[in-house]
This record gives sequence, structure tokens and C-alpha cells, in this order.
Amino acid sequence: MTEHTHPRQTPPSDPPEEPATCSYCGEKFVDEQLLALHRGIEHEPRLSEAEADAYRAARDAEREDVRLFRLKALAALLFIYFGFIFVYAFVV
Amino acid sequence: MTARRRLAFTLVGVLLGVVGTAGAHGAGLASASGRSLAVPTWLFLLTGGGVIGASFLLASFVTDRAFIRRVHGWRRAVALPALRVLTGVGRVVGVVGLLFVLVVGFVGPQESLYNAAILVVWAGWWSGYAMTTYLVGNTWPVLNPWRSIATVLPSLDRPYPDRLDAWPSVVGLLALIWLEVVSPVADQPRFLASIVAGYTVITLAGAVVFGEETWFETVDPVSRVFRYFGRVAPLYADDGVSVRLPGAGLSEAKLVTSRAEVAFVVAVLWVTTYDGLVATPLWRRYAVAVVEGGVPPNLLYAAALVVGYLVFLGIYRAAAKASKRRARTYVPVEDLAYRFAPPLVAIAAGYHVAHFLGYFLELSPTLLGTLTAPLSPPEPVALLLPAWFGGLELSFVILGHLLAIWVAHAAAYDIFPGKLQAIRSQYATTAAMVCYTIVSLWIVSQPYAVPPYVS
Ligand SMILES: [Zn+2]
Repeated sequence: MTEHTHPRQTPPSDPPEEPATCSYCGEKFVDEQLLALHRGIEHEPRLSEAEADAYRAARDAEREDVRLFRLKALAALLFIYFGFIFVYAFVV
Repeated sequence: MTARRRLAFTLVGVLLGVVGTAGAHGAGLASASGRSLAVPTWLFLLTGGGVIGASFLLASFVTDRAFIRRVHGWRRAVALPALRVLTGVGRVVGVVGLLFVLVVGFVGPQESLYNAAILVVWAGWWSGYAMTTYLVGNTWPVLNPWRSIATVLPSLDRPYPDRLDAWPSVVGLLALIWLEVVSPVADQPRFLASIVAGYTVITLAGAVVFGEETWFETVDPVSRVFRYFGRVAPLYADDGVSVRLPGAGLSEAKLVTSRAEVAFVVAVLWVTTYDGLVATPLWRRYAVAVVEGGVPPNLLYAAALVVGYLVFLGIYRAAAKASKRRARTYVPVEDLAYRFAPPLVAIAAGYHVAHFLGYFLELSPTLLGTLTAPLSPPEPVALLLPAWFGGLELSFVILGHLLAIWVAHAAAYDIFPGKLQAIRSQYATTAAMVCYTIVSLWIVSQPYAVPPYVS
């Protein structure tokens, strides 16, 4: 949670044209949503009103994404589980 | 595992010859007799891999940052009575132990199963004691006899070249394992004592030249292994003694901070694997073919050690790169490699238990016997482990991976602001872990084959 600068940053393999850069610590992100989340997590006490709003919006959007991901993860778990039951039933 | 593993192998062999118990626990855990006979090997290996994959999916359901931080940050001070007295006793025990190994190694009985020095080093120290470093806490800084001796020696305090970093400890670890595999360190007490004497000379000389702290914190491979193992343990030194959840010490940011330290962690994982690999029937067939083709055996073992290590490093590097790609982050690959290296220590610890618990228990009665009368030891006695024990050992391999997945999950949440970004960053490492689980379970389930061409 300490605020540190990030001198060493390297772009990902598919960088955006202009990275979203944190005005507090200089860390770069590929999009505004990740930057908003970063600001909310690392610099919460110092956020402006607009930045705090952006953080809340980004969190809501993320919550939706996480929900969708969980459904997929659950499907994958069931697939693994029943897959093994099936294989065991045949082999053993 | 060669010479050392052969100790238990011989012991059980002697016992079987005497009592003729059929169906006993073959060579240590190698028979893995706990596994149900009805399950074919491929399915058993696949199941292990499946458990790891499923655990990753389960961990991904935990997305509450505050909860993860609370779990990993949980700490309590422990009141240990008379800590200073315990420390003093520990130092004395360490130094007396070193002298004991040297004296008994040189003048004691020269058959391995009757020599207390051999048993203290392999069954007592490298099996039993090493297990306490990750199950309880790292007491090596206190017990380390060379460190205790070095504190009373003068120091030249020459500056240690920074660019060497942890590289000497990487080379030292690989060299020690190579020595363990190809030389008679567990067969010939005098040879073992000479190695210990040589290690003593090098270590004390190094500590005098560079200063005790630099030597044991940076160069000495044994101290470094135990320090990393100690991060898995619940107890740790922190202005007294404190307790944390097992593995919680691995998710801290400052544990691995350089390329050389990453290389060391990967080396710890690789040497435990190599140790098992050279005792499989597959290796035996392969080695025999290669040596008959004209390659000197000692070169073969060294080459396999180095090549396998480079393969492990390459896989780790590739996983770190894939992690950066999937997470679409500006964090450099090196930094990701630093943060995701410590979980590997948990895997190495799990694998170490699987390798050594049975070995330690089988040899412990003999160890105690020789300790009571080092110069005229009683007949060796073995503890015959029940059949289900092999299954118990295998479960430790899985347990180490589960801990690693959880620690890496926490580290990813610490690095990345996006929750899905953190999960995606773990795809490649999880895939590597599934493969590694399959390989290590395969090794552990193989029958023991004495590695060919080594004394
Ligand atoms: Zn920032």
C-alpha cells in the first residue's frame, strides 16, 4: 500500500497507442478501467471526486466480469469432475 | 538420491532377508503401494494434474482483496520461554553435532548402516531436520555450527562482489546434489567426513574473508535452502518468535529480488526432481544406453543435471512471459518472475516430504541405535511402514502444489489492480504446475532402481 514510483515499466506485447498513466505514481496500464482500479486500491485517501467515481464505476464493471468468469469457472469445474467420474467408471 | 537412498534400500533389504516379510514397503516410498491397484498409472497421474487444475479454479472464486490480505497478513507473537537459553543450547548442539560427525565418520565403524555419522547426516539432518525447517520454522541460523564458529573467528570483511549476487549459491547447490548422486557420501563414512571437513574449511574461510553475515546470507547454499524453506513454516523469528499461516511468508514482496535468487529457487525445485529422476527404471535404461555408446558416466550425470536445470529455467521464464502477455501489464517480466518464484518453494517442500518422510521413519530406529553407542553400534532395525503410507506421501506432493497456487493467487492480487487480470496472469504458471505435478507423481510412483554407474 506504500506509494512508490515505478521506474521500470515495459509495454506488454499488444500495447495501446497511449497507455493510461497514474498521476500519483507514474505506473502505466493498458486501459482507463485498470488505472481507475489501481488508483482506488493504492491511492484511495488522495482521490478527487471524479477519480473516486471512476473507481466505483470500474469496480461495478469488474463485478459483472467476475460474475461471468465464475460461471465459466464453475462450468470448467463440473466438466473436470464429471469427466473424471466418467473415465473412472469406464476404466476401473 | 542414489547413495543416500540406497541406505534405506539396503536396510529394508537386510531386514527382508532376515524376517522374510513379503509385500513390505519396497524401497522407501518408491513402491507407492498405497495407491489402489485398480487405477492405471496414466489415470492416476491425470487425476493428480486434474486436482491442481481444479484447485486453481476454486482459488479463483476467492476475489475479495481484503480477505486475501487478512489471511496472508495474519500474525501472532508466540511467547517462547527462555529463548536466549534455547538459542545457546541450539548453538552448542550444532557445534557438537559437527564434531560428532567428523569424529565418528573418521574413526567409527565403516559400514554405512552401523555408522552414526552417515545416519546423522542423511536420516537425521537432511531428512528429519530439513522437514522441520518448513513444517515448524527455520532454526538453521541458530543451529548452523559453521556460523557459530565463524562468529568467534576474526573477519577480514572484504567487499563481496555485487555482480556475483546469489550465483555462487546456485552453483554450490547444484554441485552438492551432483556429489550426493555420484559419490559414495552415504556409503563410506570416511568419505562423508572428508566432504564435511572440506565444506567446513571452505565455509569458514569464506566467512572470514567476506564476513559471517555476507557468507551465510548470500553465498552458503545450505543456509539459503533452509531460509527459503523457513518461509513456508508457520513459526518465524521477528523480534522474538511469531506465528503465521503456513505459506504466508512466501507472498511477501521482498523475498526474491534478483535474477540469481529466481535461479536459486528454480534450482531447489529442480534438484529435488533430479534426485528422484535418476532412481527411476527409465533413467536406468537411458543411462545404460548412453554409457554403452561411449559417454563417461560422471559426465552423463553432470550433463543431465545442468541440461535439466536449464530446461526448468526456460519453462519458468516462458511462464513469466506468458503471464505478462495474458495480464497485459506494464510490469516487467523480471518483476513477475521475482514475485511468482516463492510459491515454487512450497512445491519443493511438498516434494521433499514425499521423498523423505518414509526414508526418515524407516531409518530412525537405526539412527537412534547408533547414537546411543556410536563406536559399537547395535544391529540396524527398520521400521516397516504400512502399505497406505505411499498414498500419504503422494498426498504431500499435491498439498505443496495447493499451497503454491494459493500463494501465487495472493501475489497476483497484490501486483495487479484487475481481479480478472490477476487470474489470467496465472494461466501459464498453472499449466506448468499441472505438468510438473504429473511428472513428479510419476517419479514418486516409480519403483526404485539403483542409479547405474555411480559407486
Ligand atoms: Zn499510482
